[in-house]
Amino acid sequence: MMKSNSSSQQRRINGAYFTSVISISLVLFTLGFLGLILLYANNLSNYIKENIGFEIVMGNGVKEADIIKLQKHLDTKDFVKSTEYITPEEASRRLKEILGDDFVSFMSDDDNPLLPSIDLRFNAEWANNDSLAIIENYIMQDGNVKEVYYQKSLVSMINKNLRKIGLVMFGFSLLLLIIAIALINNTIRLSVYSRRFIIRSMQLVGATESFIRKPFVVKGVLQGAISAALAILLLLGIIETLRENIPELKLLSSNNALICLFGAILIGGIILGAFSTSMAVGKYLRMDSDKLYA
Amino acid sequence: MDQKSIISLRGLSVFQKNKLVLSDVSLEISSGEFVYLIGKTGSGKSSLLQIFYADLPVEQGHAEICSYNLNAIKRSEIPYLRRKLGIVFQNFQLLDDRSVSENLEFVLHATGSKDKQVIENRILQVLDRVGLISKLKSMPHQLSGGEQQRIAIARALLNDPEIILADEPTGNLDPETSNGIMKLLLEICKSGKTVIMATHNYSIINKFPGKVVKCEEGSLITN
Repeated sequence: MMKSNSSSQQRRINGAYFTSVISISLVLFTLGFLGLILLYANNLSNYIKENIGFEIVMGNGVKEADIIKLQKHLDTKDFVKSTEYITPEEASRRLKEILGDDFVSFMSDDDNPLLPSIDLRFNAEWANNDSLAIIENYIMQDGNVKEVYYQKSLVSMINKNLRKIGLVMFGFSLLLLIIAIALINNTIRLSVYSRRFIIRSMQLVGATESFIRKPFVVKGVLQGAISAALAILLLLGIIETLRENIPELKLLSSNNALICLFGAILIGGIILGAFSTSMAVGKYLRMDSDKLYA
Repeated sequence: MDQKSIISLRGLSVFQKNKLVLSDVSLEISSGEFVYLIGKTGSGKSSLLQIFYADLPVEQGHAEICSYNLNAIKRSEIPYLRRKLGIVFQNFQLLDDRSVSENLEFVLHATGSKDKQVIENRILQVLDRVGLISKLKSMPHQLSGGEQQRIAIARALLNDPEIILADEPTGNLDPETSNGIMKLLLEICKSGKTVIMATHNYSIINKFPGKVVKCEEGSLITN
């Protein structure tokens, strides 16, 4: 009978610990999943910005060597992600692909009206109208450049929409973060609450506050770490499933970014576990005995 | 505080939740005394004990215990004062998530003991003293009320305290078990410790005489 009491009490303690680890894991998983969405959204936003077309049309008769020289010069600039030199012949071929008709076939090669150009792609942080205007002026200083062409309204619209989406996602993330912290804090506080009389007994036998706090905080850290590990495993499962079903997602996330996300979940879980436990234990260490037994 | 006094109270007022429960309390208790603190429920016995172990602050008057001035004691000093006291409660207050041995080990670890052999020997010594050496590995819920109280007394003895404060230690026990606990407390007193025991069980006082201090109508009356 005594043995069964003892083992049922141990089962209850283990059950409560397991439940609290699962609750924290699910909250951390939700946070991690949001982090994953933000990561993909940010990479998608950069991908869109880096594919905004910017065409540098060279003057008629400019030598190929001068064009390549300009291309190499541009490649050294911070704002440039990539450049591509497009000869009039290549431009003609691409136009044929688009229109489906060889519109220069009735002309001789010398009559190709298309001019050589450099197709430029920007790094995402430069892909806004203000920066593009400065870059346009800079490029136009080269005497060989006839004109620079890009869709100002498209750039403006992309940036405006991405900003709006970003704001909504930031607000949502902040709200979810607050909810997650409150949930984890509450779970840990409940688990410490069930041990408040033990804390009281420890105080009465002459244990210092730091001595009482230490094992609780160690347990909180372990709880946070185990929960974070479970959340990361769940996220890995989700990522693998998504990658198998949507191969394009591979382009949008680097392993480094994912490692950073998982690191943040682990550190977040540990810090939240330690901090919430320490706060909850501190509350009972300072509590009057009247309130404790009320 | 004279040379032999281990507790000295002068003009002390005891408040519980801002309510005055005892006023103008003056009392001197010497080393090795056995003192009964009696009075009706709510008369201030437990509150006075709480003052002794610094669980209630001294707001008016002067109190000194084991050379600690309770008027000026810092929060960080309270654990060290409590190591000079052994506190025994009616409801035992053992750590119910660990065994008898672990309960006792915890106190020794918490109060700075590190040597495993010293800890083991001390635990066996105090359990031998309360006659429960066979219960070393038992969990608190596996013990009877009397046994739990004996373990609580063993725990109180671990750090060789100067004073044992016992708040209704026989309150939850049958008369026979209560007698056993009283004999144990008297033995401890005879070994040179001061024992202060709050109770409202007058039959115990008649059976085991000692100094009686009565809490009545907000005052302390010494017999």
